[in-house]
Amino acid sequence: MTRQRRKKVHDGDTHLKRRWRTKRRTKDLDEINEDIKSENCEKLLNQEVDYDKPGSAQHYCVHCARYFINDQALTEHFRTKVHKRRLKALETEPYTIQESERAAGFGSWVEAKKRKIETQQPLEDSESSDKRMRVESN
Amino acid sequence: MRIETCYFCSSKIYPGHGIQFVRNDSKIFKFCRPKCHAAFKKKKNPRKVRWTKAYRKTVGKELAIDPSLEFEKRRNVPVKYSREQMSKTVEAMKKIVNIKEKRERAYVMQRLRKAREIEKERDIKEVQRDLALIKSPAAGVRQSQAEEQIQDDKQSDEEMEGVEDCGEITL
Repeated sequence: MTRQRRKKVHDGDTHLKRRWRTKRRTKDLDEINEDIKSENCEKLLNQEVDYDKPGSAQHYCVHCARYFINDQALTEHFRTKVHKRRLKALETEPYTIQESERAAGFGSWVEAKKRKIETQQPLEDSESSDKRMRVESN
Repeated sequence: MRIETCYFCSSKIYPGHGIQFVRNDSKIFKFCRPKCHAAFKKKKNPRKVRWTKAYRKTVGKELAIDPSLEFEKRRNVPVKYSREQMSKTVEAMKKIVNIKEKRERAYVMQRLRKAREIEKERDIKEVQRDLALIKSPAAGVRQSQAEEQIQDDKQSDEEMEGVEDCGEITL
């Protein structure tokens, strides 16, 4: 006797689908790519106090697009695998709609560029800027 | 009416097909089928998914950089209609498609030819490494050993004779 195929293949995987719902969407890599640019980066790191966000939106990781409750949590986050993986993912330029068209044969293909040094520096900036903000508030 | 391209797999999307997703920064992502849409929702990278055009071009499976690919583009500039120009472009399109297809085929064939060379090299290496599977290294060892022994015996005999000679001389 062979085991018969399960009929309800997607039974009970709502918890998986829930993750992909638009309601739970996080920033895409190409959006973060825009955020990294210096003028946007400064704006995100020096946000106004917003009590609806974790830590009143004062401790933000640009690369992971996440708010943290305090400075310690943020610095601890920088040491995590999640953050390092994200940095690695951002090393190559993200995929765009224009690229999808180029792949389809509209114009020649352009190789995605690699960036290297950019990854760690803004993090240090963010730490120092956060500290600066603290000093100012004190 | 336009034939759109899929964001994920870069295939054509004909009117009435597929699904669109408009992100909150008003960028429109178009998908040809649920497969591509689901992959997007799972944040898969099209450059790393094997069945997409983006993968095939990044890895060099298809002709990626060529002047024949520069003709077809979304220029978004209105052009005033003229019958003569229209007929000319239609003719040109056919020629361009022919040339493009030829070049694409040539590119693939070249790629495959190279693969064959690499395959050959690999096969030769494998045979040399695993020759023991075809011909046992122990084959003919006894025979050669026997031959060596005979030779050794002969040599030793000669040496012995020499030694005897020497002995006589010393004596």
